Amino acid sequence: MIKIKSVKMDAFDLITYPAVFFVFLLFLWMLLVYFTNSLPAFQREGLNVYLKNIWIASEIPNKEYYGILAAIWGSLYTSLIALAIALPLSISYSIFVGDYLPRKFKEFMIIVSDIMAGLPTIIYGIWGAFFLVPFIKNWVMDPVYEYLPFISKFSQKPASGFSFLSAGVLLGIMITPFISAVVREAYGMVPHTYREAAYSLGLTKYEATKILMGYIKPAIISGVILGFGRAIGETVAVSLVVGNAFNLSANPFSPGYTISSLIATQYGNSFIYEHMTSVLYAAGLFLFFIGLIINLLGIYLLRRWRKNVSL
Amino acid sequence: MYPFNLRKLKDLLFLVITGILSLLMIIPLLHIIFTVFVEGIGVIIRVGPIFVTGTLSDGGIGPAIAGTFILTFLASIIGIPIAFAVGVYAYEYPDSIIGRATTALLEIMLEFPTILVGLFVTQIIVIPMGTYSAIAGAFSLAIILMPYVAVYTKEAMSQIPFTFREAAFGLGISKIKTVFLIIAPIAKRGILTGLLISIAKVAGETAPLLFTAGGLYQSYPQGITNPVGAIPLLIYTLVQSPSPSDHAMAWGASLVLLLIFLGVFIPLRLSIKEVKL
Repeated sequence: MIKIKSVKMDAFDLITYPAVFFVFLLFLWMLLVYFTNSLPAFQREGLNVYLKNIWIASEIPNKEYYGILAAIWGSLYTSLIALAIALPLSISYSIFVGDYLPRKFKEFMIIVSDIMAGLPTIIYGIWGAFFLVPFIKNWVMDPVYEYLPFISKFSQKPASGFSFLSAGVLLGIMITPFISAVVREAYGMVPHTYREAAYSLGLTKYEATKILMGYIKPAIISGVILGFGRAIGETVAVSLVVGNAFNLSANPFSPGYTISSLIATQYGNSFIYEHMTSVLYAAGLFLFFIGLIINLLGIYLLRRWRKNVSL
Repeated sequence: MYPFNLRKLKDLLFLVITGILSLLMIIPLLHIIFTVFVEGIGVIIRVGPIFVTGTLSDGGIGPAIAGTFILTFLASIIGIPIAFAVGVYAYEYPDSIIGRATTALLEIMLEFPTILVGLFVTQIIVIPMGTYSAIAGAFSLAIILMPYVAVYTKEAMSQIPFTFREAAFGLGISKIKTVFLIIAPIAKRGILTGLLISIAKVAGETAPLLFTAGGLYQSYPQGITNPVGAIPLLIYTLVQSPSPSDHAMAWGASLVLLLIFLGVFIPLRLSIKEVKL
């Protein structure tokens, strides 16, 4: 007798496989759409799309030339500012909530953090545009200009509060709850015996926490990576505060662009130009890959750490 | 005695610094809620009930509210069945190759820049149709909704003790019946809460609607193949306008959006232990 091993498909598989297949297909389709639509830009300009800071939108197709380097720079710069703000906040928050607060307040703080994570980003956007931007102009930019005029970087009086700094601060506020969630979870997973061992040596809470922080370092790193991914993909809130100007400057007070805000502000009228749409899809493709790489890395690190801890 | 005191001092300093920084973290949210209330309540009181029913020229955001509900409803119809099936699959096969890949894909999609979804849908639906439409906006939101729903479904079902499965299989019940008629109903509460939180989340999305929904504020939506507005999209447009009266409208619309969000989110959040956003 010859046994033929057939593929077993029961009713369960018949229902779920198509759905899983569809989601994968959707993702690949998305990648394909970005590839095919950005192809003309690469054929026309090569990698200069990413490597040059130039934006000539013209009615005459021959004169058009685009390079999104300033937007790439702006995305990285604002996200790094955001991380510099979010990291100390979220680590402090995790320690404070985990170690010091009584149960009742702890619940409150966690719920507040969750609300911050879920709050519609446009609400951060309107608050950023109408409160944060003037606030940063009046309380950070002007004082710095007033009292530190010898720093050549700040020698030009900032015209408005719309800047890399404002975008970075707003993003920092927005990503803090996401990083906090990862760090807090990791901090809670530290085996209790470690803490007891530290205390039994007569260490103070501060010294013990310092040691435990070393233990959850990989989780903090993956939290940072995931936070960076969130920051770089954020669109509307950033585009309302970043100033939307092509600027390859390291001055945090100057207005700039990010990749997502470039797409958000330019895509709507890109159809009247011959080559702009394709360049914007190329920008999207760049964001696509950054998002993919960063998130895969963050997820991978987090998983590996969780596995190590639970062993 | 001296070094001992220094250590104590450091310990105290540490407590004070972490406390202040934690407070600093939640102050923006409190300030946001406060500002939105203060700035938004004025325009709503001045305009009265027309604010939530009238069109933009009457000084109201009625069409935007209707649009948000239509978009969210359509997105749920499109996204939830697929996402539920995917979540169930990821729960059933957590260790198979496809199962692992599915879980990874869901986590990537959770973190994915939402503007990219919008541009994708523009290319595959809006351009072929030749017009912005509710269906394009809803499809865009559905793509963002799916990973949330799937992950919540998976996590809620994973909470159910394994003995229930063993008992079901021991009685000779098939896999499909075990999962859909035994495990899913037991995990009902978790799944439903996850569903609603996901819906609350996508209802506030702006970026995926930018080039898909189109925006419609002077009249109520005409059907799913026509453009619709949405509250977040309206706020985004109004904030960019130079006119102060538009800014007042934007604050009023923000207050409405905030109230809807908090009204849905807080009761749900209080009913479960953990959320994934």
